[in-house]
Amino acid sequence: MTNNVKKYGFVIDPRRCIDCRACLVACRAENDVPLNSTRIWVYDMGVQGAFPALSQQFVPYNCMHCDEPPCVDVCPSQATYKRPADGIVVVDQQACIGCGLCLPACPYHARTINPETGKADKCNACLQRVEQGEAPACVATCIGGARLFGDLNEPESEVAQALRAAKSVKRLPAVGVDTGPNIYYINDNVDEKKLAVTAPQAPPADAFYKWIVIPGVLLAAGATFLGQAAAFARQLRKGENEFDE
Amino acid sequence: MSAEVLTLAERKRLRAKKIKKHGLINIVTHWFNAASWLVLLLTGLGILGSPSLRIMPQGYIDFMRELFGGIGGLVETHKVFGMIWLLVITYNVLLGFRRYFVPFAAKRMLLTQDDVEWLKRKGLQLLGRKVTLPPQDAYNAGQKLYGYVAAFGTLTIGVTGLIMTFSHIFPPEMRWIVQWSRPLHFGAVGMVVAGLIIHVYMAAFFPEEKEAFFSMFTGEVNALYARLHHKKWYDDKMREEREYEMHVRLEEIEARDQL
Repeated sequence: MTNNVKKYGFVIDPRRCIDCRACLVACRAENDVPLNSTRIWVYDMGVQGAFPALSQQFVPYNCMHCDEPPCVDVCPSQATYKRPADGIVVVDQQACIGCGLCLPACPYHARTINPETGKADKCNACLQRVEQGEAPACVATCIGGARLFGDLNEPESEVAQALRAAKSVKRLPAVGVDTGPNIYYINDNVDEKKLAVTAPQAPPADAFYKWIVIPGVLLAAGATFLGQAAAFARQLRKGENEFDE
Repeated sequence: MSAEVLTLAERKRLRAKKIKKHGLINIVTHWFNAASWLVLLLTGLGILGSPSLRIMPQGYIDFMRELFGGIGGLVETHKVFGMIWLLVITYNVLLGFRRYFVPFAAKRMLLTQDDVEWLKRKGLQLLGRKVTLPPQDAYNAGQKLYGYVAAFGTLTIGVTGLIMTFSHIFPPEMRWIVQWSRPLHFGAVGMVVAGLIIHVYMAAFFPEEKEAFFSMFTGEVNALYARLHHKKWYDDKMREEREYEMHVRLEEIEARDQL
């Protein structure tokens, strides 16, 4: 990797989260997300332990901006793509046809359909702010400093320093596939099973497309093409007869 | 094609005689449809860029995206041209529904006994057997079958295309409608394209169908072609000519009698 390629990611310390959900509000306001929808979450993992040693964990959560995002692979129009320069996974709203294949493809269920536009919606790491040198809205607003954001390739960045100083680091693994998620949970163990992280999934329409439609079309078009090519070869061999037609 | 023997003189006489096959609206619609298909196929193939679904090489996909100012512009162009195509085709069908569409569907599209026989023997012919083909109407059985593929294909492509264009009207829990539209859209296009390969080869390269190609510009075919390839239609046309002749003569006689 060259020096000028950035790799943006989040470093999240769940111990610092108090479940105030100001990040959800900030995100909604910054990105014009409809009230009945959200791009980011805070998961309440419930009370753990026995009295008096009780604890309750809250897990700030959003798109992991994976190294190998399964949502990008399934997008028919490549409306969803990973920016080569900084690794942020975004959706080109003009190119999205709203098929929703990316929703089940995401093992982290970090994507939604925007109820107003009908198109795929997700955390874009507040690109408009990041490009101006600002932190994403959720990070800037977090009073406990639970959410950090920055360039993981830059050793002096806040995230790199936090990772070096962390007691423990965990990336939530997807089932059966390593997508290279770029949220690093530090100083606390986050149970991915409780967060229902799955394997990438595809709806039946996708299997129909891959196993029936594509082979069928290739077979039919291939057969007619070969048939016509053979007919053309025969025609060339035979030559034209002026008096026949 | 047909078994009858025609002398060279007869062939030359028939070749000089023109019979009208297509009206102007028919011709314009055909070429509008062809141009639309070209644009929509090229842009459509450029949209399908995902590594697991793409058909064209990455170079083509990048080129198309550059040309239309990014994937968004490409998708928008595809949608706009698709809607124009759909609008014009629908308008033409509705406008000529009673005068042209219904009679065409009832008279020209139904498969007759001869058509079934034609398909059987054509199959044998393609396998290299020498056969005589039964007489055919204005469109042969193969053309009729492809007509159904094109008609149902157009309907499927239009409906699924509109669903994907206006996907925002479906609530999130009805995504399956949009998800199923994509394979159906692609599958219908694929089936039409499979037949289109035959259609284009026949028109552009196949010597016996040259007349049909030129008729898509002039509207006319020569009588020799009509007689050899579309005997039933040719006989109908000749009967119409005789009837017209008779009618004109009768009027002439009536006019003379009144004097």
